[in-house]
Amino acid sequence: MKTNLNDVLHRVFCEVAERMAFLFCESPEADASCEPPPEIIGAFMTFAGPLRGELRIATVPEVCREVASNVLGVEPDDEAAERASADALKELLNVTCGRILTELAGEKPVFDLSVPEVSEMSEDEWTRLGESASTILLMVDEYPIRLTLSVDEMEGAQRD
Amino acid sequence: MGLNILIVDDSDTVRAVIAKTLTMCGLPINEVYQAPNGKVALEILAEKWVDLVFSDINMPVMGGVEMIEKMHENDLLTSIPVIVVSTEGSATRMEQLKSKGIRAYLRKPFTPELVRGVVNDIVGLRHENQPE
Repeated sequence: MKTNLNDVLHRVFCEVAERMAFLFCESPEADASCEPPPEIIGAFMTFAGPLRGELRIATVPEVCREVASNVLGVEPDDEAAERASADALKELLNVTCGRILTELAGEKPVFDLSVPEVSEMSEDEWTRLGESASTILLMVDEYPIRLTLSVDEMEGAQRD
Repeated sequence: MGLNILIVDDSDTVRAVIAKTLTMCGLPINEVYQAPNGKVALEILAEKWVDLVFSDINMPVMGGVEMIEKMHENDLLTSIPVIVVSTEGSATRMEQLKSKGIRAYLRKPFTPELVRGVVNDIVGLRHENQPE
């Protein structure tokens, strides 16, 4: 049976986001806007082992703050949530990556994971991410999240 | 007498969550020290009395595996229980770490109940706030 990487990414991220940050993700409506948001935060990390590749996330600051506030148990407008928002996004990516690798490769292999890095993202980068077949789009309320899972040479893997 | 606990993780958020979880668990805690990597953790361990260490694996400067190896080279630190808290789910990695003496492995995301159970198993505590 072939593994659909986008399906795995969708399912695992939704599970992690819900369990770790009480964030409920949905697939976008068919007519959802593809316009780049005014401000975009991105994070990425790489993995190496039986599979090599990278995982990327891009979203708006509002989602980062919501993740931080839910994880820390403070209000979204609390200064602690603002301070922790980039760090919380990196941790969400980190946990998702670990779970995805177990899904794809099982529990035996050992992977080297890079430390996640976060940065602001341009509108062009957001648009390019959306054009990739390795990218999925999810919504948290009205806010978009783009996730990209790139895996080099995985036997039995397919995209849509 | 409360426990002195050291939390080692490069994420400020994760360290805050573990510290909060330990408080919520009703464990008798005296002091919680925090370090962003294994190197800083070893510096704290050289100066402070610590009963229990929570450590991530994947950190910049010095990761958790190297820190645990250095603790085992030091007669004063080798008996301190280490609980690894990591995103990694590799059974092979867990076996490797257990052979280096770690006491437990918690996979992120974890629940407060899991943390409480693991700490109670290790330090042999049954606090009065803990539900039956």
